[in-house]
Amino acid sequence: MRELLNGRIEPGKGPVFWIVGALLVIGMLFLPGLVGRYTLLNFNSFLLMVFLATGLALLWGFCGVLSLGQSAFFGIGGYAYGIVAINLADSPWASLAGVAGGIVAAVVFAALLGWLTFYGHLRGVYVSIVTLVVTLVIESFLNQTAGPQWKIGTAHLGGNNGLGRFSGAAENIPSLTIPTGGGNSLVISGSSPTFYYVLIGLIVFTYLLLRALVNSRFGVALAAVREDPDRAETLGYDIRLLQSMTFCIGAALAAMSGLLYVAWGNFITPSVFGVTANVLPVIWVAVAGRKSLAAAILGAVVLQWGAQQLAISGGEWALIVQGALLVLVVLLLPEGLLSLRQQYSRMRDVRSSSLKSQSRQG
Amino acid sequence: MLLSVEKLFKKFGGVVACDNVDWSIGSGETQCIIGPNGAGKSTFFQLLTGRHAADHGRIIFKGGDISRLPPFARANRGIAMKPQTLGVFPELTVEHNMRLTLQRHMSGAALRDAIEARLADLDLAHTLNRQARELSHGQRQWLGLGMAIGSNPDLLLLDEPTAGMSTAETQRTVDLIHRIGATGTAVLVVEHDMAFVRQLAVPTTVFHQGRIFASGTLSDIETNLDVQRLYLGKQGVAKLRN
Ligand SMILES: Nc1ncnc2c1ncn2[C@@H]1O[C@H](COP(=O)(O)OP(=O)(O)O)[C@@H](O)[C@H]1O
Ligand SMILES: [Mg+2]
Repeated sequence: MRELLNGRIEPGKGPVFWIVGALLVIGMLFLPGLVGRYTLLNFNSFLLMVFLATGLALLWGFCGVLSLGQSAFFGIGGYAYGIVAINLADSPWASLAGVAGGIVAAVVFAALLGWLTFYGHLRGVYVSIVTLVVTLVIESFLNQTAGPQWKIGTAHLGGNNGLGRFSGAAENIPSLTIPTGGGNSLVISGSSPTFYYVLIGLIVFTYLLLRALVNSRFGVALAAVREDPDRAETLGYDIRLLQSMTFCIGAALAAMSGLLYVAWGNFITPSVFGVTANVLPVIWVAVAGRKSLAAAILGAVVLQWGAQQLAISGGEWALIVQGALLVLVVLLLPEGLLSLRQQYSRMRDVRSSSLKSQSRQG
Repeated sequence: MLLSVEKLFKKFGGVVACDNVDWSIGSGETQCIIGPNGAGKSTFFQLLTGRHAADHGRIIFKGGDISRLPPFARANRGIAMKPQTLGVFPELTVEHNMRLTLQRHMSGAALRDAIEARLADLDLAHTLNRQARELSHGQRQWLGLGMAIGSNPDLLLLDEPTAGMSTAETQRTVDLIHRIGATGTAVLVVEHDMAFVRQLAVPTTVFHQGRIFASGTLSDIETNLDVQRLYLGKQGVAKLRN
């Protein structure tokens, strides 16, 4: 167990890493007491994207598959949550059923798409293109569902206005709701401290779980698939199965973000399937360092916060700055900011060994 | 027979890299394939492992036709290869490289011990936490060899295992191959280096333009004038006579 957590593959390890991480989490617990409800609402929207980002890091950084269509699963998770929850609106279980529905729908779709893609022997940039095209096709499809005939049960898809009361529909998408027995329910609105604590809890849990996964024998196999799939296969690894499984896990995580997004804001539109929505997670993960789950989490939160600060002061500049950041990192630090640390420790090793050899000569 | 191929055929564009080859190897047997560059030796290996699918022909391994199986399924039936390109993962640590092979057969403390024992066997124990790309070429050859052997295969394919090795290292590789052969694993070696083939001294097949040009014991091959002319050229013939 210790080996799984402290890890072979995930680069963050050692006492300093764990202590800083624990302090960060403990410090975060005080945030709701320090900021207003509006700030918390914003912060919750950043935190809920962490699952999407870690899923992409797992898929890209650990398995070598760059999906440009994670938003497809984000959107499917979100829409499925909305559709299920609207249809069960009278039940106290509507929201939790929506959570289950969102994840199941995304995983089933990912299994199908993964099977077609990986068992069709697609690789590299072709996988990126297929995933991007699929999500854009879904976007255009949903955009033309404004007509009254586009209903699933009582949920009206609403074309480019999307799902939920904000889009003008009669039905509201319920917030996260947990039945507490005796006919009572705990409704967790997107701006509430409870939503925030739920997110922190889920992030810590997901992080530890994924860490154990990438440090397990499955993770070692993924590293081999990333570095040289053909060689991994001649060592006996079913690479198409490994890629498909990772694809499904990434999809489940993206769906988690999607359904939390819908539970947070009570609406969703087809724009969540768009190009921008697909590129942003790639920027967070690439800039921070795709080969570390912790870096992906920090990248997602910090860059979203930074982009919002920019947007407040300078409108559309935020996207351009983020795009420029991506290009710079890809050119200068292909492994992301995380590699600065590795380069630093390598430099230190070189210096200390050259010092040693000098003192030996002297 | 452990493995036999019948009328195995593979064409790359206009190049016939494997031209109706019939060949077989028995359990625990060691054989060698030689031939000039481009003769189709590596292609033959990749047809056996499944990296390339044959255009037609059959590959019978342990009594079953494996010619339609994907590479991982063939590996799991007991075929392992060290490719000409070494087959180590340069960005992974030496420990992870070895773990990749061994974790398929054991776990926990047994796995850790086995990794250390195998690496010690290969003189690589001190490199455990280094990235494989930091090793010397000879060390990477050994690691690649160790990874191929690690799964205890029934058939071990070694593509140019001594390329880039010193004389002493080559001698150790010969010993290693004899040792593996003695455990009941069938070994097929592709080599370029005649000195090595002579040290190995096992039944040998000569490939040329995708075909079996000659086969027999090493001395049959060495005294075959056609082989001398084809494979070694005039200087080679002179060298052989010395
Ligand atoms: N993947 C490939 N695509 C196209 N041609 C190939 C491929 N692999 C090998 N060949 C061709 O097949 C022939 C045999 O190559 P190879 O098996 O590598 O020979 P050897 O290992 O005996 O040197 C050569 O003419 C080579 O150019
Ligand atoms: Mg070759």
